[in-house]
Amino acid sequence: MTTGTNENNSLGLHVSVSQHLPMPLQGSFSCEPGQMLALVGPSGAGKTSMLRLMAGLLKPSQAKVQIAGEIWCDTDQGICLSARQRLVGLVFQNYALMPHMNAIDNVSLAMLHLPVKARVHAAIDWLNRMGLTPEQQQRLPAMLSGGQQQRVALARALARQPKLLLMDEPFSAVDQMSRRGLYTLIADLRRDLHIPIVLVTHDLNEARQLADKLVVMDAGQVLQQGTPAHIHRSPRNARVADLVGIPNRFHGRWSGAQGPYPAPQGYAWLQWLFSPQDTQGVHLLVHDKGRLKKQNQAVTWVIQGDGLSVHDHAPDVISNPPSIALTARLTSLRSLGEISLATLVLDKPAGCQMQLTLSGSWRQHLQPEQTVAVHMDCSWIHVMPVRDEGQSSS
Amino acid sequence: MALPCLDSQENIIDWQALSLSLKLAAVTLALLLPPGMLLARWLAYTEFKGKYLIEALVVLPLVLPPTVLGYYLLVSFGAASPLGQWLSEQGIQLAFHFSGLVVASVLFNIPFLVQPIQRAFEAVPANLNEAAAVCGLGSWATFWRIELPLVWPGVLSAMVLTFVHTLGEFGVVLMMGGSIPGETKTLAISIYDRVQAFDIQSADRMALLLLLMSLLAVAASFFATSRLTRRR
Repeated sequence: MTTGTNENNSLGLHVSVSQHLPMPLQGSFSCEPGQMLALVGPSGAGKTSMLRLMAGLLKPSQAKVQIAGEIWCDTDQGICLSARQRLVGLVFQNYALMPHMNAIDNVSLAMLHLPVKARVHAAIDWLNRMGLTPEQQQRLPAMLSGGQQQRVALARALARQPKLLLMDEPFSAVDQMSRRGLYTLIADLRRDLHIPIVLVTHDLNEARQLADKLVVMDAGQVLQQGTPAHIHRSPRNARVADLVGIPNRFHGRWSGAQGPYPAPQGYAWLQWLFSPQDTQGVHLLVHDKGRLKKQNQAVTWVIQGDGLSVHDHAPDVISNPPSIALTARLTSLRSLGEISLATLVLDKPAGCQMQLTLSGSWRQHLQPEQTVAVHMDCSWIHVMPVRDEGQSSS
Repeated sequence: MALPCLDSQENIIDWQALSLSLKLAAVTLALLLPPGMLLARWLAYTEFKGKYLIEALVVLPLVLPPTVLGYYLLVSFGAASPLGQWLSEQGIQLAFHFSGLVVASVLFNIPFLVQPIQRAFEAVPANLNEAAAVCGLGSWATFWRIELPLVWPGVLSAMVLTFVHTLGEFGVVLMMGGSIPGETKTLAISIYDRVQAFDIQSADRMALLLLLMSLLAVAASFFATSRLTRRR
């Protein structure tokens, strides 16, 4: 009976689930009060199921959900509170506003425990806070825009003073203009509320922009969690790199200490290959984190844009040893306004493509098919084992 | 029926039959509505193996000739059947009694009441119930505050349909009830009797009355439904 009740006594949200049927759902994560966590992954990854599990709309076969020291679900102890027993705010993907009730009545619905007058008063307060005019507050949902409906849904979710706020793809049906306003609104709310907020999204930019923490999911499994910067720089495996959209991912072979010359302490050699079948490649000196033991094992590796820079000419001197200069041909250059997206094909390893964003005025002079120099700082390289099915490294 | 022409000057319209028809329609509706709504809601929200069989049974009275249904009811409730004998031992007479008409009419109207309500419940988005649960609403609060207002147009048209359909029912009533004035002789039967007796004037008036009442009821329900749904 006492198992596990005290192991997570912090005020945050702790979720762990391990179920195979009716759909696989595996993994665990946590979120502190005031923190915003984004569940990201492709459609069908189980993000919404995970959200429904936290809300109490989905009964898991084996799971534990704990918040603010309170157990909402613990299948080992036979506890699973229903949605109406949990103090949870949920913003549905298509808002799920009651079509026959105006905005005020929709928000009041979450406060039926209060007398009518207090209920309406509180609902108007919440809607004012969300920036809806008194005239808009009287309208039925169908007479409100997507962004306004979203604000009503958010007000309704918060009106119950939940211990946890959940949002399912909250901005997917909202136009770009209203989206900015909503981002600001949510940033303000986060400061005031001090409860864990979990957001489901497939939009990585949105996740990076809003969330303190990402939980990457695929096929019902939690693959990795961490800050957006951490996941972007060191994805756990190739699938995570794919899912979070890291463009520069390459094949390689882990050579350990043996290379053109013995690697210094704390470094190892990575052979950069065009394809896994290649034997020849470029030798790179990278940090050895001691995780890859087998020599000559096939690996994939990524490098974040920060480690790459493009120049008109090769730099005269290469400063620190773990850096190299590469020659490349610019194959395309697309301007996205403030930045440009450049695609390069390297001379060595022949045929390797690289994508990076350029900024600054000099990019205006670049021409497609021009030869450029790429300076690569190898300390930004992150090496991953080629994934064995069913085995996750940590 | 013996001398229909004698009193036809004063009684062009068989008021007794009309009031019996109205009474039958009202009783049928009152008895059928609560279980019909439960059945409709259950069929709309639940998925199970063999659901199609239940749905087929619900629709059966719609496709069955009324005389066939009436015949089976008469056979099963008549004095010769075990069920009829058991009922008469309890002091219940169904065949050729008003109560028998009610039973027949309730069974016969199941599809007319259940189907529109089932469609209405099916049209309620599933996540509204979930949203209500997350708002802390119990099943009753969800039913009264969310489901009922949303299915109300469907319920209203189902009620009108059932009522009007009972007013005009002929085959089942004739088989089950015969044509006993004040007990089982409804307006539709009365019209038939007058035609048989060549009292065309009276049949004419009563047919017109039934036509107008039905038209009025259906038009009123359509009007109300369109006003209810326009607000969304």
